[in-house]
Amino acid sequence: MTSELTAVPRAIDRSRWRAPVTWRPARVPGGRRRWVLPLCVGVLVVLVLFAVVVPWVAGIDPRQTALADANQAPSWDHWFGTDQAGRDLVVRVAEGLRVSLLVAAVCAVVATVLGCVVGLTAAVVGGRTDRVLMRTVDGLNAVPHLLLGIVIAAMWKGAILAVIASIALTHWTQVARIVRAQALTVRTRDYVLATVSLGGSRRQVLVRHLLPAVAPQALLSVALLLPHAVWHESALSFLGVGLPPDRPSLGTLLEDARTRILVGQWWTLVFPSLALIATTAAVAGLSAAARDRLLPHRRTEVGVGGAA
Amino acid sequence: MTAAGAVPGAPPVLSIRGLSVQLGLLDGRWVHAVSDLDMDLPAGTVTLLAGESGCGKSVLASALIGLLPPTARVRGQVGLDGPDPLDLLAADDDVLATRVRGRRVGLVPQSAGTALTPTRTVGALLSEAVTTLGGAVPAADLLREVWLDPDGVADLYPHQLSGGMAHRVLLALALAGQPDVLLCDEPTAGLDPENAAHVAGLLAAQARTGRAVLLISHDIAACAPVADRVAVMVSSRVVEVGPATDVLDRPWHDYPQALWNSLPERGFRPVPGDPPPLTDLPDDCAWHRRAGGACSGVLTLEPVAPDHWVSCGRGPVGVGC
Repeated sequence: MTSELTAVPRAIDRSRWRAPVTWRPARVPGGRRRWVLPLCVGVLVVLVLFAVVVPWVAGIDPRQTALADANQAPSWDHWFGTDQAGRDLVVRVAEGLRVSLLVAAVCAVVATVLGCVVGLTAAVVGGRTDRVLMRTVDGLNAVPHLLLGIVIAAMWKGAILAVIASIALTHWTQVARIVRAQALTVRTRDYVLATVSLGGSRRQVLVRHLLPAVAPQALLSVALLLPHAVWHESALSFLGVGLPPDRPSLGTLLEDARTRILVGQWWTLVFPSLALIATTAAVAGLSAAARDRLLPHRRTEVGVGGAA
Repeated sequence: MTAAGAVPGAPPVLSIRGLSVQLGLLDGRWVHAVSDLDMDLPAGTVTLLAGESGCGKSVLASALIGLLPPTARVRGQVGLDGPDPLDLLAADDDVLATRVRGRRVGLVPQSAGTALTPTRTVGALLSEAVTTLGGAVPAADLLREVWLDPDGVADLYPHQLSGGMAHRVLLALALAGQPDVLLCDEPTAGLDPENAAHVAGLLAAQARTGRAVLLISHDIAACAPVADRVAVMVSSRVVEVGPATDVLDRPWHDYPQALWNSLPERGFRPVPGDPPPLTDLPDDCAWHRRAGGACSGVLTLEPVAPDHWVSCGRGPVGVGC
């Protein structure tokens, strides 16, 4: 008789745990990442070329009305159709895209840079400077920013610079808040203290640690502000303090479309919207790809997929 | 009579006299992290500082290079010997930043995983430290000095290093400015015994080149073989400091004895009592209040041998264990 201790264990079926015979990645990399960057760059290049080249090549004045051709659906003559004054929408969308891209890009960059400068100053200098800057931010946030924007834009009515100023000066406060918070958390990290314990200067901490730490945030805010600025410009134009109605922008085109869509003229809405959506998506993708390259642990993740 | 905690012979590189550090809390109380501490760090020796968690060891290291939080207050003297003698507690932050930190006193920080800038490669970190500190040894040689292969490691980011490699990179960074004093806060934390012994060996090698090494560690097994001197700290005070063989094998004070007895290889008997909160330490001996036993009531270090100092002790506690 065998005791339990000496009993022969039942044979284990090892085939169920057979090791794979070839190497495979421990994690299946997202194949998507590989074409995101070229695609976004490609889309942006096409959009910019479209905005710059089309009005120049077409040789049509976007303000020239042709009432006989009014409200036509897309056709071979007018690819995007015409509006209620018979103006060709290909040319107007291109013209509008040019103006909107310019306004939005300048606004997004200016607001982000301003926010970064204020946020970093508050975090690095601290003390009284921090309190004054952040209470200013609170004060600006307390005023509805469209209202403040209207005041600024109304001082120089119809000027593109006033539109830019009114949007940029009302949107840096959010960026400043986020950047300050980010810089404050990084400032007390172990590796910053380690740098200081090795004789690192304030400038070194700022350049090596704080700026790289807020850079992804700054890129994200550019990506978020860009479409927002386009819509903001359209709101200002709608209220009569933005760009003059004869100057097409994506905002004014969409304002037109708002009434035309009710009578079934879908093309007035679809083509300007496509331009706006393509711009937004391409910038967002670009900033995500750039962030992947700013953060080394994400960069090596991308490397696994053989993309970097 | 020589000053408490002194080592006979050549003047020490770093001599700490009556150092107290208190950290302010929001409710107005003070954490007594270091109290009336006397200790010498002689050149060419490894001094092991042992003691339970939260007894003030790491605060001591930060205090020596002026990296305490702004709410802290300090008392005492920390003399840094050399061609340009300096009291580190009296020096202002500019002097510490431009002349002391990294250049004359190097710190190997506690947490290897987070102490390396995550966005830069090891090579970039090292060469920048060498440039900033005006170090004479190029980055690649520093890596070789800590037994890392520059070709394989210089291009890696911190998250790609193993724990042992990260500890050694931190040591290389601390050596970039060729400091006279090396403060190492838990340099063997989280390493297997072989790697821990390896890092300890590197520190001993640094001491042999003439540096004074302060080795703060719980890993007595790995650090004891390389220690020349041992200091033992409990509840913010150093209770015994002396030659490694004496303090490790025949401690006079009963706290070191209890601490060694709590090590797995020496019986695993827990240290009696619970450490009192550092916010309200008694004016008399916190250790003997907690553990019982007779206390001589003398809280300052007194000599029992030319370089062996004990406070409130009662003679050699025991031989072997």
